[in-house]
Amino acid sequence: MIRGLPLSLRVPLIAAGLMVLVGVVASQQVMATLGAVQEERLRELARLHVDGLTVALGPAVLRRDVWEVYDTLDRATAAMAGQRMVLTVVADEGGKVIAASDPLRAPVDADLGPLAAAAQAVETIRLNGEDPHVRVLSDLTYQGRRVGSILSELDVADLVAERRRVLAWLLAGNALATCALAAGGYWAMRRMLRPVATLSAHMARTEGAPVAIARERIPAGDTELGRLFRTFNSMTGAAAAKAEAERRLAERERFVSLGRLSSSLAHEINNPLGGLLNAADTIRTYADRPEVVRASADLLERGLRHLRDVARATLEQNRLDRQGVTLSREDFDDLRLLFEPETLRLGQDLAWQVEAPQPLLARFPAGPVRQVALNLLLNASTAAGPDGSVGFSVSEIDGSLRLTIHDNGAGLSGEAQARLLSTAPVQPGGGVGLRLVRDMVAGLGGRIDYFRKVDRSVIQVVLPQGASC
Amino acid sequence: MDRRAFLSGFGTTAGMALATPTVLRASAPIRLGLTPVFLDNDAEVIARLKAALGQATGLEIELIQRRTYQEVTGLLLEGGADAAWLCGFPYLQHEDALSLLGVPVWRGAPLYQSYLITGAEFPAEGLADLRGGAHAFSDPDSNSGWLVTASDLARIGERPETFFGRTLFTYGHRNVVRAVAGGLTRSGSVDGYVWEALSAVEPELTARIRVIGRSEPLGFPPFVARRADVGTGIVASLRDALLGMDLDDKGRSALALLQLDAVVAGDVALFDGIRARMRDVAG
Repeated sequence: MIRGLPLSLRVPLIAAGLMVLVGVVASQQVMATLGAVQEERLRELARLHVDGLTVALGPAVLRRDVWEVYDTLDRATAAMAGQRMVLTVVADEGGKVIAASDPLRAPVDADLGPLAAAAQAVETIRLNGEDPHVRVLSDLTYQGRRVGSILSELDVADLVAERRRVLAWLLAGNALATCALAAGGYWAMRRMLRPVATLSAHMARTEGAPVAIARERIPAGDTELGRLFRTFNSMTGAAAAKAEAERRLAERERFVSLGRLSSSLAHEINNPLGGLLNAADTIRTYADRPEVVRASADLLERGLRHLRDVARATLEQNRLDRQGVTLSREDFDDLRLLFEPETLRLGQDLAWQVEAPQPLLARFPAGPVRQVALNLLLNASTAAGPDGSVGFSVSEIDGSLRLTIHDNGAGLSGEAQARLLSTAPVQPGGGVGLRLVRDMVAGLGGRIDYFRKVDRSVIQVVLPQGASC
Repeated sequence: MDRRAFLSGFGTTAGMALATPTVLRASAPIRLGLTPVFLDNDAEVIARLKAALGQATGLEIELIQRRTYQEVTGLLLEGGADAAWLCGFPYLQHEDALSLLGVPVWRGAPLYQSYLITGAEFPAEGLADLRGGAHAFSDPDSNSGWLVTASDLARIGERPETFFGRTLFTYGHRNVVRAVAGGLTRSGSVDGYVWEALSAVEPELTARIRVIGRSEPLGFPPFVARRADVGTGIVASLRDALLGMDLDDKGRSALALLQLDAVVAGDVALFDGIRARMRDVAG
């Protein structure tokens, strides 16, 4: 789960986790030391207690003098009222109780066994968990031989409470310290990693065009991050340069496509010129014949209009300020005017069909659609070759605009398909026309499909509504 | 007042006697034997007794303590003490050698009782209900702390060693109370005079105990001396001092601390009840 977190959060969290771990280990150490100190204190106390009783009770135990033993224990208990020893039982060597400080709990002649069940030896006293009492069993030796045993019950509630209190303080203290350190670590890490966040934000914000990080935001000194930032800025510069180069290339491509049409257009202009000159000659020759002049003037006008349309279409294709101009049927008429002479020159058969309604067309920008259509038409014409056939249709499909270009050529090569259908790097020497088509369609949010149908290559461009360029 | 000091004077038997030598030991102290069981901390009782008797006799008083009645009695008989405050039972045991100097008066009479006590949580109503349990006696030479219960048992054909599951001697009436209150034994035989005093000054101790039997009134523990010394000046002087304690301030102060009214001459007939019990035990 933590892997899904950003680095600027993950590192501080790991630091906080390590702090908690250190706190737990430290607490464990403190508790262990406290326990050892308490147990040593308890052992010392129990030893003194047992030793004192052994000296005082030895003869009485040897005689099995119940009263003497009880009297000693009772007075010792009274003298230590409120202190640690809550029960002391003295038994003979056979394990029968001689007397206890509390005879109701350990009656005379009772068996010591059940009472001594969980008893520990003095030298190995351990505090066990939350049990407020600890029982200690030791031999009672007199004149060098064992004459009985002493079982003592020690009240360790205060020690248990102390451990609990220390544990609570440790937990609270460690929690506070850990929180403070974790917060500090988090703040420090955030601060140290802020440049990374900045870099990440810049990289996330670069939608196709990386933005350089302001110089004042680059960490001072020759740190890794500083170098990283400078590298990033160099990269954004390179990316900007590349984008500029591509833009210029695309700009040039428009002229390239027109250039490819220039000879056809020259023919288109040149062909009518002979007729126009003849008409002018006829007017001059038959100036007195009004019907001939009128007919020649009509011919002149038609020729000139055609020339004007060709010039206008060329100018329109070449206009640089087409931003905001929407698509219309006239744009396709212009395209046909520009492209048809090329098919005529090559003796090709051209099928042209524009069915999309004007309201749909008006939702798309004119410039890129015209450029896309012209590039694909020129590509199709080249592929079809002399006497081939080329088709173009514009239709509506599910509210989207569909341009379909087909030809009877041999089909797109693998490299050409890569240019048209993918973002794979463009191999040098192949021109940029198809890649430009791909970029412009992508810019309009559309898609390109290519397929072979019988002996024809079909390219479909589908542009969704709302596209803009 | 130090209650332990106060109590220490209760229930003890003590005696005083003049020294054996026929020559008056004018400069020697009067040695008064006391059973020490309650005298562990009774500095004040000792001080007041010494002051009262010392002033009355004009002699220094030396108080001698021993652990058991037997030791004090032996001390007196052997001449280690001039007189002693003894229990009526050992007095009668050695009646031929000992003579009464005086008998303390408690609550208007030179008499007291033996009490049979048991832990408050036990349902016993009398001696018969105590069979098989542990029982605490004060001293084997104590009338109230042994003889009364032993004779009661003898009257029903029993003996303490077999009637009770276990018997033990605590060598002090207060210890009997402690043994029963602490649960060491189920029951005990105790001096009624000590019991009443304890009830007043240590109610938290006696609250855990019920009195389930009281003997008939018996002769209060007397001051005694060797019979042979009764005619000597020291014994006479001590007897006069004892009998006149209620007449001067120091004497009254000591008596008040002991919760006694006075010391009277008394008569051996006071101890007939004890004598009868001795006979019962002897069978």
